[in-house]
Amino acid sequence: MSVLPPGLTQETFDQALAEFRAAIGPQWVFTSDADRASYLDPFDIGDQDDHASSAALAPSGVEDCRKILEIANRYRVPLWPISMGKNLAYGTAAPEMRGSVILDLKRMNRILEIDEEMGTAVVEPGVSFFDFKAELDRRQSGLWMSGPSHSWGSVIGNALEHGVGYTPYGQHAETICGMEVMLADGSLVRTGLGAVEGTREWQAYRWPFGPGLDGMFTQSNFGIVTKMGLCLMPEPEGMAGVSIRIPDRGDFRALIDTLRPLRMTDVINAPYTIANGWRQITGGRVRSEVWDGPGAISRERMEELLAERGQGWWSVIFNLFDSPAGLDLRLEKIRQAFSQNIPGATIEVRRWEQGQPKESWMRQDVSLAPLGVVDWGGNPGGHSDFGPIVAPLGDRAEEVYAIIERRFLEYGKDPWIGMFGISSRALIFVADMFYTRTDAEETERCRRLFRQLCADMTGIGIGLYRTHLRFMDDAVAMHGWGDHALPKLNNRIKAALDPNGILAPGKQGIGSWNDKEEEGQ
Amino acid sequence: MRPERPNRFLWLAAPVLAAATPAAVQSASEAARSPETIFASRCAYCHDDGGWGTRALARRMPEGEAALLDRVNLPPAYTAFVVRRGIGAMPQFTPAELTDEELEALANWLEDRN
Ligand SMILES: Cc1cc2nc3c(=O)[nH]c(=O)nc-3n(C[C@H](O)[C@H](O)[C@H](O)COP(=O)(O)OP(=O)(O)OC[C@H]3O[C@@H](n4cnc5c(N)ncnc54)[C@H](O)[C@@H]3O)c2cc1C
Ligand code: HEC
Repeated sequence: MSVLPPGLTQETFDQALAEFRAAIGPQWVFTSDADRASYLDPFDIGDQDDHASSAALAPSGVEDCRKILEIANRYRVPLWPISMGKNLAYGTAAPEMRGSVILDLKRMNRILEIDEEMGTAVVEPGVSFFDFKAELDRRQSGLWMSGPSHSWGSVIGNALEHGVGYTPYGQHAETICGMEVMLADGSLVRTGLGAVEGTREWQAYRWPFGPGLDGMFTQSNFGIVTKMGLCLMPEPEGMAGVSIRIPDRGDFRALIDTLRPLRMTDVINAPYTIANGWRQITGGRVRSEVWDGPGAISRERMEELLAERGQGWWSVIFNLFDSPAGLDLRLEKIRQAFSQNIPGATIEVRRWEQGQPKESWMRQDVSLAPLGVVDWGGNPGGHSDFGPIVAPLGDRAEEVYAIIERRFLEYGKDPWIGMFGISSRALIFVADMFYTRTDAEETERCRRLFRQLCADMTGIGIGLYRTHLRFMDDAVAMHGWGDHALPKLNNRIKAALDPNGILAPGKQGIGSWNDKEEEGQ
Repeated sequence: MRPERPNRFLWLAAPVLAAATPAAVQSASEAARSPETIFASRCAYCHDDGGWGTRALARRMPEGEAALLDRVNLPPAYTAFVVRRGIGAMPQFTPAELTDEELEALANWLEDRN
């Protein structure tokens, strides 16, 4: 069954495909059903076919990209660039607009530079976290990678999507230092000091003479990122893994207000993760083993399961990075703050020093194990999340938490909620929905829940960190200030840079070819 | 967050990952990669003894056959289909990260060694 880009006939699409084959080699133009199926979203919140691609192209380098763009502009073929295409939970490799052609940059996978002295690297899109870690290990590098919890994705795609890791360099978009970008017309630019011919400073400083444009190409469809510079963390002298149990639900506000100053003064020098009760009862089993009632697992049952495991209503985990003496000072401050504000909290600490073998709590190994959580809800399981960005103020966080928990219970979903202290001044909520992907009623309910929460958050002035493809328009609509001035500006930039609108139409709600998605509300 | 499980392919994975490194010019998808390499560096993360794939398959496979390497029978055509299309919650692999030729060799290797 063939899928076509909107507005193209089979005949013109076939002509475009013939030109793509001639340009990059027929073996790198994928059109069979099996190949196209491999670009569907395995965790989609509904029918995967809603986001089916019409073909996929795998260029070998920037010259191939330029040829592809020239053809795509002529035929008005929409392209959806991906790096590893493992954006699991947010759409994986699938395009926002059905019928788009995937531009799969996996084959462009060189690690161009790892600079031990400067603590920087330059990579191409197809470099996965597996590849990158293996290369650092092979070189016995003194630099560490900051990766997300599963390693299948790409260094570039993850940073572009504002991905999160668990080291002091865990705000991955913040580690970007210079990019090479191909615009829709095939022109190639280098951002930052990369614009200076023969420079040694491309990765040294992000702010060139004039506007800093790196951010313009993140969560964006203004160009194809073909290279990226990244800052890497030097191996620390030591690490401490801290896990804190808070028995009392009522201590949430105090918890947030205790963590904020510690994070802001860099005592806690990497992102922390807070988990609520429901988020702590999952490991090692599937949901049907603990709950056969209708709707969400009740609070009473959840608390019973927590007690069985000896866990508190809230848990906090984070790692500290410093010399052994520095770690002692940090831990002392943390213990003091908790004993003052939340006397019921218990704190466990593990330690590591340079030279000792690494342990799993350090999160320095590549892994796919975290993906196993998807099995929790049903089979074939899927999961996606609602991710508001919230100020780490006790009152504010409590207000948002209460709304999300209430709505999840109302819609019959377990409120499986994590909160990531990603920077000193931002808490990102990740409220996960688990579902059986083929259960139309359940996925429809999840979509309604998501949209309900968008409305709730808009009402209190909150926006989102990232979303699944299905909610791009909902998320962008939350930016209403000044009669949607920012989304309008994005669309004006899009029109100027990509007048045919061929690059990732609809991504982040920018340059959409359709009117607003009319989907089961 | 979860404790890592001992990976019985580590002995394979270590030298192999280094070999598959996209150093300098050669792109990994085009360098010839052996089935063992691919299995150790991609599949084993989920299909080793304690992996998620093995745990999921333990729910529906006969005792002792949950790990793919312990299978009595695993038709190559089935493996190829599963890897491209995904199964249950196992995400699929694209032809750019695992070519048709590599997949065929991998599927045959899995069948032969059983
Ligand atoms: C269980 C689980 C745990 C997870 N944990 C984390 C976590 O801890 N931290 C985290 O950050 N994420 C996490 N994720 C989400 C996600 O899977 C990862 O962020 C993953 O790294 C993203 O995939 P990728 O790197 O292959 O990006 P891709 O899929 O390659 O890219 C994502 C998007 O960015 C754009 N893009 C990519 N490359 C380019 C380019 N070169 N030019 C222009 N645009 C481009 C495209 O729109 C693309 O769709 C998790 C998901 C699951 C299911
Ligand atoms: C991210 C984890 C993950 C990775 C990586 C992975 N698998 Fe799987 N695999 C699973 C899970 C989970 C299942 C069981 C799915 C189900 O039926 O619920 C599975 C099932 C399978 C099955 C079906 C077995 C049967 O009897 O039905 C085959 C074959 C298979 N995998 C092969 C592979 C191969 C080959 C690779 C590497 C190229 C691979 N898998 C990589 C998780 C994974």
